[in-house]
Amino acid sequence: MSDSRLALLTQWEVTIFLGGLAAIIAFRLLTGGINTRYLLYGKTKTGSRYFSPERVQLLLFTLGTAMFYLLQVINSLKTATKGVPQPLPDISNETLALLGGSHMLYLGGKAYAMLLKTIPKGE
Amino acid sequence: MHPAFLVLLQAAAQSSPTPPSNPITLDSPKVTFFAAVVALGFLGGLGAALLFLVLKQKKGGIDLSSLVSEPTGEASMSRFQLLVFTFVIAVSFFLLVVNNGQFPETPNGVLLLLGISSSSYLVSKGIQASSSEGLSGGGPQIKIHSDRASTNLGGPTVQFQADATGLTNPAVTWSLDPPDAGAIDVNGLYTPPAAGAVNTPMKVTITAVSKEDLRAKDTETIDLV
Repeated sequence: MSDSRLALLTQWEVTIFLGGLAAIIAFRLLTGGINTRYLLYGKTKTGSRYFSPERVQLLLFTLGTAMFYLLQVINSLKTATKGVPQPLPDISNETLALLGGSHMLYLGGKAYAMLLKTIPKGE
Repeated sequence: MHPAFLVLLQAAAQSSPTPPSNPITLDSPKVTFFAAVVALGFLGGLGAALLFLVLKQKKGGIDLSSLVSEPTGEASMSRFQLLVFTFVIAVSFFLLVVNNGQFPETPNGVLLLLGISSSSYLVSKGIQASSSEGLSGGGPQIKIHSDRASTNLGGPTVQFQADATGLTNPAVTWSLDPPDAGAIDVNGLYTPPAAGAVNTPMKVTITAVSKEDLRAKDTETIDLV
C-alpha cells in the first residue's frame, strides 16, 4: 500500500467516525434519544422552575455562531487555491464580544436564580 | 595518547567488517510505513468499536441519553453549548486537514471561542456547586444511619444520626411512628418504652426532616422485640 493510499484510508476512517458520531448525536437530539428536557428552563434557589430568557438567547447565539463559522469554513474551502494550505477562519472581535456577553448574561441569570431568587407561592 | 595504542586502534579499524549497504534502522521508510499501518489499523478498529457501542446504546453500549444532562436529569445549556462548539471546531479542523494535508494554523479567535465556551461551562458548574442543589444533583438530602438495627422493651438506647448534603443547615426534626413506641430526643437518641408498655415484636419508624428544606427527609425502621 502506498503512502497516498494510506493518507486516503486515514481520511476515510476519520470522516466515517466523525460523520457517524455527528449524525447519531444530531438524530438523537432531534428524536429525543438524548434528553433535552427543561433545556430552556432555569431553577431557583427553592427548586422551582421558570422559563429562562437567558437560556434562549444563549441557545440562539450558540447555534447562530456555530452555523456561521461552519459556513465560513466551507466557503474558504470552495475558494481555496489548490496546493495552498488554508488556515482555520478567524473569528472577529465583535463576534467574540457578542458571544462573551451572551455567556455573561446566561451565567449572571443562573447565579441570580440559583443563589438569590425565590419565587413566592402561587407564582 | 601512547603511540602504541594509536597503532592498535588503527589496526582494529582496518580489520573491522564493512557495514551493510542498507541497514534497517528505526527511522527507515519501511519501519515508518509499518508503524503507520499498525496505528491506522488500531485507530480504525477503535473508532469502529466506539461507533458500534454508541449505536448499541443500552446494555453494554455507550448511552448518550444523558450527554447534555445534569445528574438531576435536566438538560444543561452549558453542556449543550460546549458540545456544539467542540464539534464545530473539530469538524472544521478535520476538513482543513483533509484539504491541506497538514494541520492548519489555528487563529487566536478560535482559541478564544473555545476558551469562552469551556470557561462558561466551568463557571456554570461552580454556580451549581454553590447552590443548595450542589453538584450531587440529587438536591438537598438527608440520610439516616444508626448504631443498631434492633432493641427491646426497657433495653438499650439507639443513637440515630442524620447526614445532610446540599443544605447549609444540617439540623433536623426527629419523629417516630407509632408515637407511643418510645421517645426520641433532639439529638436523635431513641429510648425504647418500658417492659410491657407496648406489644412486641413491632417495627418502629424513625423519621428525620431537614429544618431548612422540608422536602429533604429520610426514614429508618428498627425492630422492637
